[in-house]
Amino acid sequence: MLSHIVCALSLAVFYILQTTIFSRTTLVAGTADIILVFLAAWSLHEKIKNSWLWAGIAGFLISMVSAMPYFAPLVGYLGVIGISKLLQRRVWRIPIIAMFIVTLLGSVFQNLLYMITLIIQGTPISWGESLDAVIVPSILLNLIFALPMFAVVTGLVDRIFPLEENE
Amino acid sequence: MKFLNAKNIRTIILILTIGGLLFLAVSGYLTPVFNLTLNPLISLQRWLSVRYISARDLLTTPSDVVQLREQNALLEAQVTQLQTQLIVMEERLSEAQVCFALLDFGRTNPQYEYIATAVIGREISPFLQYIIIDKGTEDGVRYGMPVVTQQGLVGRIDAVIARAARVKLITDSDSVVNIRLQSAGIEAQLYGSLTGDVSLDMIPLEARIESGDVVLTSGLGGNYPPNIFIGQVLSTQKRENELFQTASVQPIVDFESINAALVVSNFEAVDISPLEPEE
Repeated sequence: MLSHIVCALSLAVFYILQTTIFSRTTLVAGTADIILVFLAAWSLHEKIKNSWLWAGIAGFLISMVSAMPYFAPLVGYLGVIGISKLLQRRVWRIPIIAMFIVTLLGSVFQNLLYMITLIIQGTPISWGESLDAVIVPSILLNLIFALPMFAVVTGLVDRIFPLEENE
Repeated sequence: MKFLNAKNIRTIILILTIGGLLFLAVSGYLTPVFNLTLNPLISLQRWLSVRYISARDLLTTPSDVVQLREQNALLEAQVTQLQTQLIVMEERLSEAQVCFALLDFGRTNPQYEYIATAVIGREISPFLQYIIIDKGTEDGVRYGMPVVTQQGLVGRIDAVIARAARVKLITDSDSVVNIRLQSAGIEAQLYGSLTGDVSLDMIPLEARIESGDVVLTSGLGGNYPPNIFIGQVLSTQKRENELFQTASVQPIVDFESINAALVVSNFEAVDISPLEPEE
């Protein structure tokens, strides 16, 4: 129960930070997606069992707020959780490396999804410009925030689970 | 010979000795001797004095230290309070400056009614150029209303809820604005881009446009009111095998730092899509 509350509050805080600060902080035309980075860090902890649920909720709510084609953020965040679970179970056991890989692959997946969705919708954007101006800078920013976010989420998880085990 | 008795001789020797010593002292010959004897004394005196002062301070100053600490804490609290007040005042001054500028814009364009809004967020996806404002349907904001600042055109309302609205900026890659080049007297279209740059297209090849030409909304299409300032032409690109020439535009509005905007509430966008031929 506590993990649900903490996750909900964290998502609310990171959503506000995202729209007010991180979306205004650009590198070329790319911005960090701090919600994606949070969900990646959250889902990588073995004790966390609710990451699919909260990725779905976050994706749904952001789909409502964003001007992106409907449910593109939802699919993007669920994809990040999918990548995270795949790495967590089968491939990698070193959390911090896994965090970087999930952030990298998740950012690539999400940005490509956004770009393809926009192109299908008829928005005149080019692959080259998207890659140079948006995708690569966004991935770089996400990777920069991956390490501090992982430390923050690990701190949160370490505080939550002793309390939940005592309940 | 009575004068040279033993007593007088001792007195004379004593006087001569004292005189000699005085002479030696005055002439500086006795300085090493003084140093040798006085230095240990001075050291002892200093040691004792320091201990005495420390002991005296220990016994007499605790009440002063406590008092000083209290005063210091009080002053620090006052400084913090004043700094907070200063920050609040600076914020209010900044807001007031923006409000005055917006008011000024309203005065110079009295034909429109405005709803003043604050920008509270930006679109999450970096592919899109949208902002979120703090006024919605409860305040009279409706879909399609143009949004301006004191400088010029910002965009139009794309989605609206009760207490907030999303504004599609003219820099968005999906945005098209019909414009008029003031000096050349020709009409063209302004396009946004992924990077937030704006450019003109559909300019006839024979049209003569120059750097610095003013770009205004034309009002065609019914999406924006006419004669709202957008920016100035930076450079033109003309290719022989193309039907139209293009131009880069420097927008007058700094889209990265918009803090407040005005929604033009008495302008209703006209939806002409049913009149457009189907592709």
